[in-house]
Amino acid sequence: MAAGRLLVGLAWRNVRHRPWQALLLLLALSVATTTITLAMALVDVSDRAWDRVSQATHGFHVDAGDEISPDMSPAQRERVRAGLARLGDAPGVVAVGGPWREAQVDAEIDGVPLRLRVEVRDAGPAAVDQPLVTAGHWLDDREGVVLEDGLAAAAGLRPGDTVTIAGQRVPVRGAALTVNVGPYPTDQPAWVWVSPATAARLGTALDEGGYSLELRLADRDQAESFADAHPQVNDTWQETRSETATDIQDLAAVFGVLAIFVVVLTIGTAVILVAGRMAAQIRQVGTLKAVGVTPGQVTCVLLVEYLAVAFLATAVGLAAGSLLTPPLARVTDVLAVYGAQTPPITWPRAATAFAVTTAVVVLATVRPALRGVRRSTLRSLASNTRPPHRPGRLVRAITGLALPVPVWLGLRGANRRRGRFLANMLGLTVGITLLIMALALHTGVEKLRQQGLSIEAPDAISRAADIANQGRVSSLGFTVAALLIALALINATVAAVFAAQDHARNHAIMRTIGATPGQTVTAFLVAQLTACLLACGFGIPFGIVFYESIRGGILDPIGLSALTYLATILATLTLYGLIAAIPARLLARRPITPQLAYE
Amino acid sequence: MSTVVRAEGLRRHFRGDAEPVRAVDGVDLVVEQGEAVSIMGPSGCGKSTLLHLLGGLERPDAGTLIVGDQAVDRLSEASWARLRRRTIGFVFQAFHLVDQLTAVENVELPALLVGTSRRAARRRATELLDRLGVVDRAGHLPDRLSGGELQRVALARALVNEPLMVLADEPTGNLDSQATGEILQLFAELRDTGQTLVLVTHDARVAATAERLLSMRDGAIVEDTRLDGGLPQQTLLAQLAGWEA
Repeated sequence: MAAGRLLVGLAWRNVRHRPWQALLLLLALSVATTTITLAMALVDVSDRAWDRVSQATHGFHVDAGDEISPDMSPAQRERVRAGLARLGDAPGVVAVGGPWREAQVDAEIDGVPLRLRVEVRDAGPAAVDQPLVTAGHWLDDREGVVLEDGLAAAAGLRPGDTVTIAGQRVPVRGAALTVNVGPYPTDQPAWVWVSPATAARLGTALDEGGYSLELRLADRDQAESFADAHPQVNDTWQETRSETATDIQDLAAVFGVLAIFVVVLTIGTAVILVAGRMAAQIRQVGTLKAVGVTPGQVTCVLLVEYLAVAFLATAVGLAAGSLLTPPLARVTDVLAVYGAQTPPITWPRAATAFAVTTAVVVLATVRPALRGVRRSTLRSLASNTRPPHRPGRLVRAITGLALPVPVWLGLRGANRRRGRFLANMLGLTVGITLLIMALALHTGVEKLRQQGLSIEAPDAISRAADIANQGRVSSLGFTVAALLIALALINATVAAVFAAQDHARNHAIMRTIGATPGQTVTAFLVAQLTACLLACGFGIPFGIVFYESIRGGILDPIGLSALTYLATILATLTLYGLIAAIPARLLARRPITPQLAYE
Repeated sequence: MSTVVRAEGLRRHFRGDAEPVRAVDGVDLVVEQGEAVSIMGPSGCGKSTLLHLLGGLERPDAGTLIVGDQAVDRLSEASWARLRRRTIGFVFQAFHLVDQLTAVENVELPALLVGTSRRAARRRATELLDRLGVVDRAGHLPDRLSGGELQRVALARALVNEPLMVLADEPTGNLDSQATGEILQLFAELRDTGQTLVLVTHDARVAATAERLLSMRDGAIVEDTRLDGGLPQQTLLAQLAGWEA
């Protein structure tokens, strides 16, 4: 018990001694858990939104229908209607809506021709599928049309406007939500409801179509078996809910991929922070071992510290992710109409987030921790510096070339801490990959806007809605990419600062034998920019591959010019060079002798 | 004989808790070419600080300093670095080799900095390591070398550009007695070849390799003695009494 308190106390003191390192790790892990939470919560939000609207509209459990044709006599049509209506008497049915007449007709909105699906409804509330009015009011005995909310928004129509349906000008009474179909333009043709008076005026335009019947069951989970038993059933509520969630599922998948990027970036940041921390704590580890603390207990001190950060990051990420889910979800057409509420935090989500942060922390901590505890106690007490990696054959071959002295020193310096070099390179690669994807996305969406095309756009209104949606999605994509690039920059800054501290002693030594501060800074920059250049070499092809994998059939293949790639490389090198130069110059200005103080 | 270094009224103060610490307080010093000078004194007397001032690792707060024929007390960091690579070789108690470079790379680095070709620098470095008896360790990183080997490599590095003077700060402080004896032998050989040496030490054996002894106390030189046949009795007694405890 006492040992446990001691270990926790040591861990807390370490955090207090270098709080900014703990904060950086917390920031990186929190971004990871936020992204993971978003990926998991988005689909949940979609289902909840659908359920909410379904509840408000007494949504259907099964949807049935039968067709009629223009050559049918009224008696024949009545037989079709009655036959469908009998489904309402089937066992398990507790509420019936319809049968309602429906048909697809030609329409015109502000001169734009389009197809509409018209359903004839009366003024009284339906027991099943009573659309939820969002603007104006529901149908009454007068002529009028109520538009599905997505169509009203896309076309910019308000109560009092008019639309032309089958050549007849009809006043808009309102807009409403339903779960019977997905919001326009997700589902097409767009859905409208007309009064019986309007239906009479539309006349034979409604002769080709059918009747629809909406049923609610005593147990909605029996919908699929009910559908199996009755061939007139077209859809169940599960199928419709799943179809309307397609966009949100795509968005969730994108965030799933982003979460992978973020986790990789976070591992890079954690490795650099932990390795830098371990390098500074070698003597502490030796001291602990010298006074009898076991290697396992020493490892526990480190893990306690970082697991505490992981736990906190999980809490922050779950909260932030839950709060960000609704505005993010409203980027999609469906939830822009249905709305989205903050989802509750669930155990699977919390467990997943904590598992990921724990894995990141353990992966970043175990190797340096084991190295530290396995190191001889005497050596740990004698020196606070871990010996560098021996240069391999490739490094010796490259540095054996006739290079300027600062370049030669820089390349050898890059090899000094291979783990951190690779972690830094990994973080930079992620940043450059995201940058290329963002540039390609921007180019693709701009091209789409100029061409005004949309894959599933039978009319100009849905085309404009698609483009607007793509614009929202791409804006979201740019925002997220910018945030992740910012995270990559933070990672790069951390790497540069730690590298400068790690190289400080060697650079002071070089100054004693005649290297100028300019030469030592140049050597340091060469080491850092080597990682950056390699990251460009990997990040650009990765960015191309990932863009191609997400563009679907909507955007053109990547169309960035060679000049763009070159500009990306130069801009990245310049920016990272500036970031790395600051800590390097600060160290070069420090007096030499304190940095050579006997360890 | 020409003057290698001339210091007049050299001062260096550090910020202390209550009042400034006068690490070097008005030191006048002249070292002629070929002289071997030892500087001894109790801990905190300023001998290492004086050495750092002579080598440009610290800036004086007051006074003048001339190395060779150049006034250096107001030189910039970069100018000092260029001067140091040609005229001064440093040997430290903690060796201070660049840990990512092998022994021979550490030795050839100052030569490369003055513009010597890689081939010539490698040749010179290898010759020096051979002369100092560690050429078989040339390809090893510093963490694989013993204390004595490290100091030999450091000495070779200090000599690679045939400097005007070698400044050594407690060169045997981290060595066992056998290695100490070997390094002392090397310094004696250097002295005999006419290399100008300034050695800071608290070890009488090291001091005895020099021809001249400066005793420091409280930042000032209190005694300047030629060593003909051993250390002054006063210094020996002070050391036995735990002067350097």
